Amino acid sequence: MNVSIVPALKVLRPAAVVGAVAFFGLFVGYWANALLVPGTSPEQPIAFSHKVHAGDNDIPCMYCHTQARRSISAGVPSVSKCMGCHIEIATEKPQIRKLTSYWDNKEPIPWIKVHDLPDFVHFTHKRHISAGIECQTCHGPVETMERITVTSRAIDGSFQLGTPWEMGLCLNCHKQNEVDNGTDCWTCHK
Amino acid sequence: MPKIERREFLKLVGAGSVGVGAGFMLRETIKHPPEYLIPHVVAPEDFSTGIATWYNTVCSMCSAGCGISVRTREGRAKKIEGNPNHPVSQGKLCGLGQSGLQVLYNPDRLTGPLQRTGARGGETFEQITWNEGLSRIADRLDLLRAAGRGNRICLLSQGVGGHLAQLFELFMAELGSERLLHYDYDHPHTLYAANRQFFGEEHLPYYDLKNTRYLLSFGADYLGNWISPVHHSLGFGHSRQGRPDIRGRFVQIEPRMSMSGAAADEWIAAKPGTEGVLALGLAHHLITQGYYQGADLDAWRQALRDYTTTQVAEQTGVATTTITRLANTFARSQPSLAIGGGIAANHSNGVDTLVAVNALNYLVGNLGKEGGLLFNPEPAGSVSHPRQASFRTMLELAKDAREGNIEVLILNGTNPAFTMPAAAGFTEALSEIPLIVSLSSFMDETTALADIILPSHTYLESWGDDFPEPGVGFPTGAVSQPVVSPLYNTRATGDIILTLAQHSGLSDAIPWDSMEDCLKDGWREIYERADEETRTESFEVFWRSMLKAGVWGEKSQRDQTFTLAEGVIDNIGVAPPEFSGSPDDYPFVLHPYISNSFHDGRGANLPWMQELPDTMTSVVYGSWVELNPVTAEGLGLKEGDLVDIESPHGRVRAPVYVYPAIMPDVVAMPIGQGHSTYGRYAKDRGVNPIEILSAQMEPHTGSLASSATRVKIVATGKRVELIKTGGTSRDLGREIVQRFDPTAQSKTGGAHSTQLNSIPITTVTT
Repeated sequence: MNVSIVPALKVLRPAAVVGAVAFFGLFVGYWANALLVPGTSPEQPIAFSHKVHAGDNDIPCMYCHTQARRSISAGVPSVSKCMGCHIEIATEKPQIRKLTSYWDNKEPIPWIKVHDLPDFVHFTHKRHISAGIECQTCHGPVETMERITVTSRAIDGSFQLGTPWEMGLCLNCHKQNEVDNGTDCWTCHK
Repeated sequence: MPKIERREFLKLVGAGSVGVGAGFMLRETIKHPPEYLIPHVVAPEDFSTGIATWYNTVCSMCSAGCGISVRTREGRAKKIEGNPNHPVSQGKLCGLGQSGLQVLYNPDRLTGPLQRTGARGGETFEQITWNEGLSRIADRLDLLRAAGRGNRICLLSQGVGGHLAQLFELFMAELGSERLLHYDYDHPHTLYAANRQFFGEEHLPYYDLKNTRYLLSFGADYLGNWISPVHHSLGFGHSRQGRPDIRGRFVQIEPRMSMSGAAADEWIAAKPGTEGVLALGLAHHLITQGYYQGADLDAWRQALRDYTTTQVAEQTGVATTTITRLANTFARSQPSLAIGGGIAANHSNGVDTLVAVNALNYLVGNLGKEGGLLFNPEPAGSVSHPRQASFRTMLELAKDAREGNIEVLILNGTNPAFTMPAAAGFTEALSEIPLIVSLSSFMDETTALADIILPSHTYLESWGDDFPEPGVGFPTGAVSQPVVSPLYNTRATGDIILTLAQHSGLSDAIPWDSMEDCLKDGWREIYERADEETRTESFEVFWRSMLKAGVWGEKSQRDQTFTLAEGVIDNIGVAPPEFSGSPDDYPFVLHPYISNSFHDGRGANLPWMQELPDTMTSVVYGSWVELNPVTAEGLGLKEGDLVDIESPHGRVRAPVYVYPAIMPDVVAMPIGQGHSTYGRYAKDRGVNPIEILSAQMEPHTGSLASSATRVKIVATGKRVELIKTGGTSRDLGREIVQRFDPTAQSKTGGAHSTQLNSIPITTVTT
């Protein structure tokens, strides 16, 4: 008896088409997510503008991020630090009112972390600041940003907004500046 | 183009939408979840994010009183090290001290006040508020005090010193009670008593291991756990390697090789309980060989006449040549030092043994001399010893409890239900006490029997102070300060006592609001006592600089003259040790020893200590019984065979560890495991050898003669795999241990093998 699978395939063809469309849709959806909600510039609880502070008003980075020159972490200013100015300045603006309500409730502002290194990387701000590295070298043109965006730097020095840091960024800089043991694994992975 | 039917079209649109949705969600789910940067509302003044802050405080894991430095970051304790400024620890710390972090962060800590709901010992508790707990106790205390029955209140604490000890004194005196007891299983009662008998003063002297040339240790595991092991280890290191051209030599006399025995140049096993006899044998040799020429020579000669070398050799099992050699070296290597304690002191003749050891020091002139035994000044503050309850005192307490004379028992950190032998009947006696209150941080065996639990802070969260004993030759003390904010709804022991005092209207005598105030007042007195030269401009400056340094000290030293207490020489003599159980039925002497990891059991809830291999056997996570290979072979036992260790008072079951460095008629077991509660890491792991000890005592002090119980070993036929990190103790042809024949030095073979390893470890005589 001859057995053919052709009739069976014919029956399955519509289902296969449906499957193919769904599979294609999967990629479209994934891409759409990356385009629409890339997560490289998350919305913060208060629409804090680095442009206004560091750009227009020229406040030095380390006026607020006081720990950068002393500690491994740059530190986020305490709410009281914000209130130090905003008890007087621009108190009626809606974003400042938000700040005031955090302060009144004695609650911290849950900022979302934008720039992040994996836990297996040992990075210290103190060393880089004392070596005279500008904050913008890694963090990009923060003084132009209304909202902080992940920024990386290409080998030619141009900023690439929306691209997270990779190891090459560190290594390029370490090589260019001829850092002692700058390409040793244990310098960062310890 | 094929014609698409409406139905088909809808299908495709549906499939496409589902696909797009799934793709969108797929990326959404694999995204890194947002991390938050939570700032402070107000920046704290005492730390900066990312920068470590070190606080100096005092370790409370044992009674030695080492100064520690705790590294904190963002208000959390991260690491404990020794405080380099502190004369006891000098920047070093033992494993148990390092594990203090796991006391603080232990997941089984009691997090708030509890009240018993079910039957006693059933461990059913409900949460209550501090006010409920405190007022319930205060009401009872008031009632008893008003009725003049204050003496029915008992405060049983772990050994505490400093101003907390003084606060306890005040509080109990105000309540009208004399029942204030400290209880530590390993408190060296016999050592204090021996020093009182010999020198007429009840303080621990300073044993100058650092500068000695020759140390005879009678049973004292000074590197492992004896009175101040970190300080002794520093001294040991200096004595061995810190002096050019001089290398200290160490001899350890004990039936089972401890860590100190392993580190010594020579390990000598005298029959259990005859260490004192051996000491007097050495003393006899010193007298007869003319090493001692004091005015009381005749008295000594008369007192030691029964301790001739041959007689002593017979009693102790140590060869006559060894006795004479030890005595000669001891006398000739000046300065030398003899110390005694540990297993040698845990016999029925413990005090006599330690007096005999003191006599050795006296006869060669080691007393009050650098490199020998130096007398300490009076401690600058309270120490625990005067209140330390001996085993006999604890039995009396149990008897009082049974007779209904104790109505309230307040426990502070001590765990007698674990560290008292079952034969003492202590746990049963507790059931007669109407109200038991525990201030412990953990649900230990005694706390499990409590009616109300008011958990106290750990030492890293509370104020306190300590005046180390043994001292270091000059007056010193240290304040223990909180290094982190309290993690849970607990309170400092001192604050609990102060609140109870306020509840009971005792504020006139006990005026402080907090332990910190109490401490400051106390230290203000010490500050005002100080001479003009060392005085700072104000108390606040003094206080702050002391907190920063983590220690306080004065330069003054005691003059080192002493007088021999009356009747010492006439009464010298060491009786044969008494053992419980007949040698026929119970052929082995049980030697339960304080574990380096768990101390008296308090460290068993610390995972770091559980996984730390035992120093001598490398066993982790469990109990074992050490048998000499000859004994094991005689009983047909191998490593891992489960045996019952049976005394006249009970039995425990543990696997065999074959240990070559133990006398054949002695079996040894580490103390610390075998908890029935005390948290997930301690519970149901190993066995507690204290349980089966007999209630044998040293008669002068009433301390437990813990090495005086005989046992028998009964095979069960079962086996377990002993978990240990060490491999085999055999060489197995790996030539780890080089052997050479000293008589064949000239031959090439002999010379060759010595070249391989310049230090010959084993000598084989042919």
